[in-house]
Amino acid sequence: MTLIKTNQLEKKYDVGDTIVHALDRVSVRIDAGEFVAVMGPSGSGKSTFMNVIGCLDKSTAGLYLLDGIDVSRMERDELARIRNEKIGFVFQGFNLLSRTSALENVEVPLLYQRNGVSPKERKDRARQVLAMLGLEDRQHHHPNQLSGGQQQRVAIARALVNNPPLLLADEPTGNLDTKTSIEIMELFVRLNEEKHITIVLVTHEPDISAYSRRMIRFLDGQVVNDEVNRP
Amino acid sequence: MIHLPSIIKIALRALRVNKMRSALTMLGIIIGVAAVITMLAVGKGASDKISDQIATVGSNLIIVVPGSTTAGGVRMGSGSFQSLTRGDADAISSESSVMLAAPVISGASQVVYGNANWATSVVGTTHDMLGVRDWTLASGRNFYEQEIRSAAKVCLLGQTVADNLFGNANPLDQTIRIRKVPFTVVGVLGSKGQSMMGQDQDDIIYVPVTAAERNLFGRRIPGSVHYIMVKAVNTEELSRAEEQIRQLLRQRHRIGPDQDDDFTVRNLTQMLQLTEQASRVMSLLLAAIAGVSLLVGGIGIMNIMLVSVTERTREIGIRMAVGAKTWDIRTQFIIEALILSMIGGLIGILLGVGFAEILSHFTGWTILISPFSIAMSFGFSALIGIFFGFYPAYKASLLDPIDALRHE
Ligand SMILES: Nc1ncnc2c1ncn2[C@@H]1O[C@H](COP(=O)(O)OP(=O)(O)OP(=O)(O)O)[C@@H](O)[C@H]1O
Ligand SMILES: [Mg+2]
Repeated sequence: MTLIKTNQLEKKYDVGDTIVHALDRVSVRIDAGEFVAVMGPSGSGKSTFMNVIGCLDKSTAGLYLLDGIDVSRMERDELARIRNEKIGFVFQGFNLLSRTSALENVEVPLLYQRNGVSPKERKDRARQVLAMLGLEDRQHHHPNQLSGGQQQRVAIARALVNNPPLLLADEPTGNLDTKTSIEIMELFVRLNEEKHITIVLVTHEPDISAYSRRMIRFLDGQVVNDEVNRP
Repeated sequence: MIHLPSIIKIALRALRVNKMRSALTMLGIIIGVAAVITMLAVGKGASDKISDQIATVGSNLIIVVPGSTTAGGVRMGSGSFQSLTRGDADAISSESSVMLAAPVISGASQVVYGNANWATSVVGTTHDMLGVRDWTLASGRNFYEQEIRSAAKVCLLGQTVADNLFGNANPLDQTIRIRKVPFTVVGVLGSKGQSMMGQDQDDIIYVPVTAAERNLFGRRIPGSVHYIMVKAVNTEELSRAEEQIRQLLRQRHRIGPDQDDDFTVRNLTQMLQLTEQASRVMSLLLAAIAGVSLLVGGIGIMNIMLVSVTERTREIGIRMAVGAKTWDIRTQFIIEALILSMIGGLIGILLGVGFAEILSHFTGWTILISPFSIAMSFGFSALIGIFFGFYPAYKASLLDPIDALRHE
C-alpha cells in the first residue's frame, strides 16, 4: 500500500536575483512499512523534502498524496491536524520543551488531538510509550537532566505517542556519539519491524543508512539515485 | 479545542519562569485597578453621604456666625465673638424669605443620671430648632415658648445620650444633672446617625437658650449667642434670604457703609456642595490615574507578551510541528495575558480596598465598596488582558512552523 506519493514536486525559493530549486521535480513513492534513508550532500534538499512530506512546509508546485489524500493544497490548520495524527517528527536537535518533564513533553501531541484526550489518559499513554523506550525511570526528568541519547528517545516517544503510520527523522543521530547512534538506529529498526511504522530518515553517514532497506539520494534538489539496500 | 486546565497550567509555568518580569508587568494593572476601586469607593461614599447629609442636617439651611470673612479666612473685630444676639435671631425670623431662625449657645458638658454619666454637647436653643433641622421627636414634646422665656430647666435628649444614661428605661419626666444643675427631660429626639465628618449627631442635648446662658455657660454680654441657624422658606429663596439677613444685621449692628460685616452668613447646602466638589475632584484625579495606568498596564502586557512570543518562538514551532492549530497557539498566549491581567486585577482590588479604608480612616470620609465596583474592575482587567494579549497571540499563531523551529 502506498503511503507517500509525490509527483513532480517542486520547492523554489526566490532569493533576490536568483531562484533556488530546493526541490526539483521530485517524484517518489514510499509504501507503508518501508524503512528509507535519504542521503545527499549538504544543501541538496533533504531537509526540504522531509519538511514537505512532513506537512511542515508546502511545495510550490507538484502533487503530494499522503495516505491517498492530496495534502499539497491544504490549509494551515488541516496540515496541523495531519501532522498530529499521521506524522511523527524527530529532529537532529531533539526540540524538546525545556523546563518541562519528559512525561509532559511526550503528552504534548495528545494535547492538540482533535477529539480531546483526558489528562489521565494522556499521562497513561505517555507513560506507556516512555516505558517501551526504556525511560520509565526518567519520566520526571527535565531535558537538561537527560543525556543526548535519552533526550532523543523522549523525542521519539513524543513522535510515537499518537500512533502515527509515518515517522520522519532528519539526521536523528547527528548530535549523538557512535554508541548512542547505534542504540537509536536499533530502536528505529525495532519500530519498523515490530510496529510496522514507515520510517524515512535523513543521514550523512553510510553506517547509519545501512540500517535502512532503501536509499534515496538527492543532488541539487533532484532524486539522482533510488535503490534497495542489500543486507 | 485544547483542554483549558492544561493550557492554564502551561501559562502559569511560563509566567513562573520569569516571576519578577511577570510581577512588574502586572504593576500597571495593579495601580490602575487600585485607583478605580478607591475612586469608586470614595466617590460613591461621598455622594451617598452628601444627599444623606442634606437630608439629616436639614434642607435650605443658613448659618450666621460672628466675625467677618475675608477672602483669606475669618477675621475678628473687637468683641466680635459675642456680636450675635437672641434679638438678632428673632429679627431674622420675621424676614419674608426666612421660615425659622434658632440661636445657639453650646458647650461640652458632663451629664449625670443616677450612677450613669456621659460627656456630651449641650446646645442651648429655642423650640424652633427642631423645625430648622427637620428633626422629629421619638417621644415626649418640644419646648414650650413659655419655657424659653422663663429659662425653664427642661431638656430634649438625643438618642445616644438617652441610651447611655437610661438604657432601656423611659427618660421622660426624669431629672438629669448638667454641670450639677438639674434639668427635667421632656422629650427624646429621633435618631439621625453620623454626620459627614463621622460625628454622632445623636450625641446631643437641647436646653432652652436662656437656661443655658443663666445656668450653664455664662455670657460676657447678656443675650449674645454663638451662632444662629436659619431655615429659608425654600431653595429658591436661599440667596435672597442670605442677602436679607446681611442687610438686617448690618442695620442692627450699626455698621457703616465702608465697614466690614462683623458676622458671616453661610449657606450650609453650599458648604456641603463644596465638600462634594472636593471629593469629586479627588475622584476625577483617581479616574485619570486609573485610566492612564490601565492603558500603560495594558501596553506593558502587550510588550511583555511580544517579548515572550519572540523568546519562545522555538517552543511555538515545536507545538505547531506536533499539531497545534492557529487557535491552540492563540488561546495559549491570550490565556497567559489574561492570567497576568487578572492576577494584577485581584491584587489591585485588594490594594484599592485597603487604600480606601486608610483614606477614610485619615480623612473621615465615608467610603462605600460595592460588589459591583469589584466585579467591574475585575472584568475590566480581564478585558485588558484579552485586548492587549490578542496581538502578540495573533502574531505567534501566524508564525511559519519551519522558521519557528529554526529560531535560536
Ligand atoms: N528559507 C530558505 N530560503 C532560501 N533558501 C533556502 C531556504 N531553506 C533552504 N534553502 C535552500 O534550499 C536548499 C536545500 O536546503 P536543505 O535544508 O533542504 O538542504 P539539506 O540537504 O537538508 O542540507 P544539510 O545536509 O546541510 O542539512 C539549500 O540550497 C538551501 O540554501
Ligand atoms: Mg538538512
